Amino acid sequence: MKVIIIGAGEVGYHIADSLSREGIDTVVIDRDEERLHEISEILDVQTILGSGSSPEVLKRAGMAKAEMVIAVTDSDETNMIACLLASTQCRIPIRIARIRNVELNGDCSLFGTDRLNIDLCINPEQEAVSNVMNLLEFPGAAEVFSFADGRIRLLGFQIDPGAAVIGKKLTALRAMEPGFKVLITAIVRGEKLIVPSGGSVIENGDYLFAVTDATHVRELLRFFGKNTEPPRRIIIIGGGNTGMMLALAIEKRNISVKLIEKKHGRCELLASRLEKTVVLHGDGTSQELLREENIEETDFFIAVTNDEEANILGALLAKQLGARKVISLINRIDYIPLVSRVGIDGVINPRHAAISRILHYIRKGKVISATPLRDEKAEVFEFIALETSEITNRPFKDIHFPSGTIVGAICRGEEIIIPDGGSVIQPGDHVVIFTPRSAIGELEKLLTVKLEYFG
Amino acid sequence: MKARPVLYTLGAFLFILGLTMLVPLACSLYYGETDVWSFVLSIGITSGTGGVLSFGCKPGEKKIVLSHREGFLIVSAGWILAAFFGGLPYMIHGALPALTDAYFETMSGFTTTGATVINKIEALPHGILLWRSMTQWLGGMGIIILSIAILPFLGVGGRQLFKAEVPGPVKEKLVPRMAETARSLWIVYVIITIAGFILLLFGGMSAFDAINHIFCAMATGGFSTKDSSVAWFNSAYIDGVLVAFMIIAGMNFTLHYKLLMGDFRTFYKDSEARFFLGTILVATLLITLDLRLNVLADIGKAFRYAVFQVSSIITTTGFVTDNFSKWPAFSQIILLLLMFIGGSAGSTGGAIKCVRILLVLKQGYRELYRLVHPHAVTQVKLGHETVPQDVMKSVLGFFVLYLCIAILATIAMSALGLDMITSFAAVATTLGNVGPGLGLYHPATTFSEAPTIGKWILSFCMLVGRLEIYTVLVLLIPEFWKK
Repeated sequence: MKVIIIGAGEVGYHIADSLSREGIDTVVIDRDEERLHEISEILDVQTILGSGSSPEVLKRAGMAKAEMVIAVTDSDETNMIACLLASTQCRIPIRIARIRNVELNGDCSLFGTDRLNIDLCINPEQEAVSNVMNLLEFPGAAEVFSFADGRIRLLGFQIDPGAAVIGKKLTALRAMEPGFKVLITAIVRGEKLIVPSGGSVIENGDYLFAVTDATHVRELLRFFGKNTEPPRRIIIIGGGNTGMMLALAIEKRNISVKLIEKKHGRCELLASRLEKTVVLHGDGTSQELLREENIEETDFFIAVTNDEEANILGALLAKQLGARKVISLINRIDYIPLVSRVGIDGVINPRHAAISRILHYIRKGKVISATPLRDEKAEVFEFIALETSEITNRPFKDIHFPSGTIVGAICRGEEIIIPDGGSVIQPGDHVVIFTPRSAIGELEKLLTVKLEYFG
Repeated sequence: MKARPVLYTLGAFLFILGLTMLVPLACSLYYGETDVWSFVLSIGITSGTGGVLSFGCKPGEKKIVLSHREGFLIVSAGWILAAFFGGLPYMIHGALPALTDAYFETMSGFTTTGATVINKIEALPHGILLWRSMTQWLGGMGIIILSIAILPFLGVGGRQLFKAEVPGPVKEKLVPRMAETARSLWIVYVIITIAGFILLLFGGMSAFDAINHIFCAMATGGFSTKDSSVAWFNSAYIDGVLVAFMIIAGMNFTLHYKLLMGDFRTFYKDSEARFFLGTILVATLLITLDLRLNVLADIGKAFRYAVFQVSSIITTTGFVTDNFSKWPAFSQIILLLLMFIGGSAGSTGGAIKCVRILLVLKQGYRELYRLVHPHAVTQVKLGHETVPQDVMKSVLGFFVLYLCIAILATIAMSALGLDMITSFAAVATTLGNVGPGLGLYHPATTFSEAPTIGKWILSFCMLVGRLEIYTVLVLLIPEFWKK
């Protein structure tokens, strides 16, 4: 199995990281020599200097033997050409391109088999935006993921001080609210991922992952003492692509949104593209400007500038000034454990979103969806249960699951089942399963579904 | 500035103008009336002058390249000359022997104003009447645009002329080629005119009356073949048809073109068209109520008069079905205001134009908005499109100049001894190319009693209004004439 990645930017780097760690031969092509040098120091990948749209370079990268090409340079055009070359010259079976231009993204016919022949177009910014929109729908949650066509949701949220559930065992919680379709799949305490059992106790500051069916999300959040009021006023700082797409999506929902951008020329462009958004020219970290625009009445403050340190500090400042929830865009994984501790309520990570989308796409077999969680320590899969699988047709209590692996939900036709020890998986069920990364290998055997990548 | 191409183009243009008089000539031959010779002579003089001029100044190159300065000069001079030569039939026939009157009448025709100095219209021969309506119909879509459509040598140069003559802040080509654009506009114009002509025939109008009235309705001109204008027919059907066609003529012909090409979306989404129709609706409702409460017992009749007069004034046509100077002051004020609003950009209507009013209002709102959000960056938008800053500035400049000219001309008219209402309404109605005024020159009278100087001032107002101020005023600044 061999994968060629074109573009060694943030997305390219982290995809290379994920793939190489799973034992896949990875070749990274980029035009920046220094960057390649850096990568080859850290990752176990081959690096090739050159342009991804050059047939010669692709040939040197061993395109003839490759099974997948992932083009994630900054230029949409280069990415498209690279994929076109891959399909016309070497018939590489899978071609994935990052296409940032939203106008192109909408036009699927351009990427069809008889045209550019691109299997998957990803737009990290757009992925990030749709994540934020999920968060806005459920303001209490810090992460929201959808499975089974959105009928099953996985939520990540922090337990606030003073919540009624603190100090209670999970069994006690179940007794408080019987018939509640929810399952706690993991507790993150500090840096540690704890696999919950009935006797686990919820502590102040815990970060919980819970699976529920889509109709119960609000109740679930309310139960854990989270706010579920939909937001009415939002301030965004940073009018880059992410900021603009975000503002567009928010204004469509009739939520009042203000967008602060530093560059005046960019402001003018934003003002002409956006309909209802109030476009403000100024520094998003200026107290005076934030006060002038009623920061204390703001439900969500979203910092999506190019400068992630500024995003973190801006979000903290906004929180200080009275914004109810603050979200920052952070690309560096290193910062992520930090943010919830300092009081930032949510993180947008376009790179993470893009990787998740790619993993989702390239996981083989009956796996429909795969989502890396929490610094990629854990993953959630959605797969279709097979007749031959060991976990099918047996009650859960008789199955020996790898440590930490939890079946979060079963979707059988119209019905959503949140399983307990007596539940049985039937063939054809959609199963959402939560697993720490370390247990993936064991889980594979159990499911008789290969969780490996295409190949 | 090169004199030869300018004179050559003007000559060609006069030649065509002379040829258009063949139509009324044919008409007077058909009716066998006394005005045959006046047309023969006029054609001789006009086309003769044009022929000599263009033959004498034939430039060397095949295609004429015009700078925008020459464009302004040709269009302004073309219109001034057209009003003179177009008035020849009136003078030779004796309907209007004085140059001032003939010039006023023709300028009123070409600029689609519809203000008249003829007291006994019905006494005139058919040929003269048809020529009178034809000046409006030709002027409506633009006599220069007609030339662009016909004259092959105006390749790129046509663009400059087009810009100078077509009303509205932004001029777009419909199709890549200038001459083709001009031709498309004229074809749309002719098609709608024919449709209206047929509909008027159904209303029981004679073919002669129908063609005259549809000419004047499509041009938003307002000349009638009857002394009492459209009121003479006293038919709700005819009123209805004319209202429909005045409104069509008052909308952007680009939209009509796209509609005929099957593009309904643009039509439906156009914010100027919405504003235009909305204004008509609101004004009609207000006047209907006012008339019902204060003048007429019959609400149906009140509505019929209101909708006709509102459409007639806002599209700057100037047909009348009732003497609105007898209406309550509230209705009169609304009509006076409509004289300033006018039709849509790219229509045959005059005055400031809906799109400019809309943009000025939006700009005003934007200033208020900026007081609330001092750091906000906002763009004035029309539909979903941002209006560029320089267009915005030119619109604001236009607005200010328009009002300045209205005020200065009003002062000049009152200096001639006219009362305030008369002066102001006369200026508003001519500058906006509407037609009937208030005060002394109300719809039931004519401008024939106006002082001679007043007639020249009003003629100038009509020209300035039709060519949208800039084209004419630019000739008055010294900078224009510097090498």
